[in-house]
Amino acid sequence: MSASREIRTRTDLLKLLCEAAELEHGIACSYLYAAFSLKRDIAEGGMTWEEQQKVRRWAAQIYFVASQEMLHLALVWNLTTAIGGTPYYFRPNFPQGSKYYPIKVPIELEPFGPQSLRRFIRYEHPQNIAPERDLKSLLASAGDDAEEIEFGSVGELYGLIESGFHNIGEKELFIGSPTQQMTRDLVHFPDLIPVVDRDSAIKAIEEITEQGEGTGRDREDSHFGAFVAILKELLDSTARGSGFSPARPSMRNPSARLERGYGADSNPIDDPLAGQVAALFDSVYSLMLRMLAWSFEFDSVGVEEQLKKFCSVTIDIMPRVLLPLGEGLMLMPAGKKYPGKTAGPGFGLTRHVMLPPSAENARQLCRERMKELAVLAADLLKLRLPEPVKSGCRHLREIAETF
Amino acid sequence: MARDFDVVVIGAGMAGAMTAYRLAQAGARVLILEAGNRNPSRAQMVGSFATASAKTLHSPYVQAESDTKAPSPDSSSTYYEQPAAPHTQYKSTYERRTGGSTWHWLGHTPRMLRSDFKMSSRYGGGPDFPPALVDWPVTYDDVEPWYCEAEREMGVAGSHDEWNGLFDSPRSKPFPMSMIWPSYSDTWIAGQINGKSFEGSEYRVRSTPSARNSELYDGRPPCAGNSICVPLCPIGAKYDGAVHVAKATAAGASLWEQCVVTKLDKDADGSVHTVHFLTYGGASQTVTAEVVVIAAHAIETPKLLLMSGLANMSDQVGRNLMDHLAKSTFGIAPEQLFPFRGPPSTSGIESFRDGDFRRARAGFRVSLNNDGWSRRGAPYTEIIDFVTNKKLIGADLQEALFARVTKQLRLSCSVEVAPDPNNRVELSAMTDALGLPRPKITFTPPQYSLNGLAQATKTLGDMFRLIGATEVDLGAANAYDGAGHIMGTCRMGSDPKSSVVDAQCRTHDHPNLFIVGSSVFPTVGSPNPTLTIAALALRAAQDIADQLGFKTEPQI
Repeated sequence: MSASREIRTRTDLLKLLCEAAELEHGIACSYLYAAFSLKRDIAEGGMTWEEQQKVRRWAAQIYFVASQEMLHLALVWNLTTAIGGTPYYFRPNFPQGSKYYPIKVPIELEPFGPQSLRRFIRYEHPQNIAPERDLKSLLASAGDDAEEIEFGSVGELYGLIESGFHNIGEKELFIGSPTQQMTRDLVHFPDLIPVVDRDSAIKAIEEITEQGEGTGRDREDSHFGAFVAILKELLDSTARGSGFSPARPSMRNPSARLERGYGADSNPIDDPLAGQVAALFDSVYSLMLRMLAWSFEFDSVGVEEQLKKFCSVTIDIMPRVLLPLGEGLMLMPAGKKYPGKTAGPGFGLTRHVMLPPSAENARQLCRERMKELAVLAADLLKLRLPEPVKSGCRHLREIAETF
Repeated sequence: MARDFDVVVIGAGMAGAMTAYRLAQAGARVLILEAGNRNPSRAQMVGSFATASAKTLHSPYVQAESDTKAPSPDSSSTYYEQPAAPHTQYKSTYERRTGGSTWHWLGHTPRMLRSDFKMSSRYGGGPDFPPALVDWPVTYDDVEPWYCEAEREMGVAGSHDEWNGLFDSPRSKPFPMSMIWPSYSDTWIAGQINGKSFEGSEYRVRSTPSARNSELYDGRPPCAGNSICVPLCPIGAKYDGAVHVAKATAAGASLWEQCVVTKLDKDADGSVHTVHFLTYGGASQTVTAEVVVIAAHAIETPKLLLMSGLANMSDQVGRNLMDHLAKSTFGIAPEQLFPFRGPPSTSGIESFRDGDFRRARAGFRVSLNNDGWSRRGAPYTEIIDFVTNKKLIGADLQEALFARVTKQLRLSCSVEVAPDPNNRVELSAMTDALGLPRPKITFTPPQYSLNGLAQATKTLGDMFRLIGATEVDLGAANAYDGAGHIMGTCRMGSDPKSSVVDAQCRTHDHPNLFIVGSSVFPTVGSPNPTLTIAALALRAAQDIADQLGFKTEPQI
């Protein structure tokens, strides 16, 4: 992909929007995995009281960046439906090799550390600027397997998308219904922009790139700037040799169910109980995604209440179910194959039932699935599990009861 | 005669630091003198709070030496000399330290309204209207660009659409950050009351603008919902004065801490160039400057002027001490609102701030709060009750506690206090450890404000009724808390006979002596004062730079 290329057809534009959706989604999972891995309690060892404050701040920043990636995904979906497309929520399972996307950086699930942070910096690296000398040395520190990185970036992808919105005639391009657009009245997403014309499309794209890469004036306040600052702080802290170890020893690229044709080069969790929790995580995650994508896909006229309900449930699920399950998995052993390692959520997207266009039927399907998952959660609650996992299971049952 | 510095700023709080920053940026040689100690790291302060047995505003900031040598009402409950109860008390307090009291502020930054600057001409003349409730010598339109600038400097998150044009007070620029998202409790309450009215004013819940990052801003992280903004944001997402102290020193300003200013000298021509101060060791030192700026909050500032015998030709120094009358009311919501998460307050109601009623009573703001009944000791009080009286333990205790605390709701108000020259700061005969007089405070809430408090209490009662709350406690009539908004005491005005500073915050009596901070407010309206303090300080900094002949980049 070259920055000088321009997009001139709806088909190409939709293809790139799907690619952007896939990337934003995958990157958000990668950030969440790193945030889940950060230690919470001093009793976990490896940090002093003061260092715990720092770790909490890093966790807060990474969760915040991940939440903005979710906003970016939502904006991409609004851009997609505005020009007649369907929100795309699929993505290949982890890990995705460096050749899969033109940004030439692998997308993986790995715990917080210099290596994951360097990868994050590459995702968010501003287009059209060469890395400054000190950044180059930060990225090239020991443990990095890449020699000379070509900085294709997510920003470059959005540059191409923007060219499509400029090049294709406005009347011809915006064939989606304005009432199909998701607004802040329907979903509690701060800064969500409904896309109805070229101006609002450009505004949405600018919001994505400014939050990610930043602009020349406020680069330190972008995702890019935040990750650079965290990496510097981390290297500075560990260089003092105090034994500071902020992350849990979680495995890389876990999967709950390799035996069922998961694909990719993931590492199947070897501990049966952790595998069970990871499978529940995947199922909840998959249902949550489908409900959110359904809400973005269909016209809100006549089904506004259902859209609101779906959106509020999905947003409830993220912090109350997925977050504690994800953090809890990182306190569970990964199994004999991975000595000393703890498990983690695989964010697995396997074959699943698509939700139908009929609002009533979609709700029925979701209600039934939620109840099935609540039964699994109830079974897990009978076992000895880390407190965050139990808390996620309890919340899932509560949400299912009122759905 | 060559002076040591171009500008000496007394006080390293938000107003002083912002002034110092702008002047240092313009090329002035600036010194900031601060009575308090250097701050330890934020993590150390969080640690002090966490390990303190009694959690108070001052818990993170306890330092034996500065608490003795530069005492404050936060560090010493007997610092103010006040008439004993049952006489009404002045209840607000402050810190003396680098960064000032913004270390423990809540972070709310609503603007004053157009009418707040014009109280006398808009509502004056009637029998119930306090005569000291004057017009400001500046208008909303004069200050508006500086409000925008203050919002940018501090990093304010807010909703432009919700606030633009409130009571004829337009905004010329959007907020630098989108709003802090309303809590679940806020949106639920809005669903119950929005569009309904009480005695002619319509309820409409708005997100409250806050100097609290909703995104990465100015090198600081977004709010992570630690919920202990007061007394200390553990991650620096909430703005505090230390941000501009760091900017000022990075721009070249000098910062001398543990320097308690004791006196300013007047030259024969009326100008003030010499500043005397004591170090903690008791050594007396002097520094000189072309311009002196006092930024020592609304009690230490008049105290210093009275100790120096300056700027008081009007006899207004120390008079018209104000605050907001704050009141918390409590109820149990009919469903779970899940408090104890996020910033303590994220939304409020502005509808009662202005109207013709201000001819006879004060306006007020209403805050919706996210802190349950924590001000009444929740959840510890409930745990003790459930264990000792209801004999609950284990899962039963957990369930009962969850069912109860998740429905707890606090609604509060902040009522405008009218100026009264008899409410004042004077020098006490009692002294502190350095032998300096402590402040003697006299304060009685004016009837105009008590009338506003009564109306606010009725309104909160109506809100609880609309919500369907039970166990509602509106508190005793006329009972109030301090809002921490110490204002007045060096009022701004056009007439040197009735005011201390002019519209540029320059003292009428001394052409090179400026005062920044809430002490210059002639009236206060009902909004939290900090944004207005910042706007006036930035505006004054521009005037000081002009007076000294420094060229500044046009900021507005």
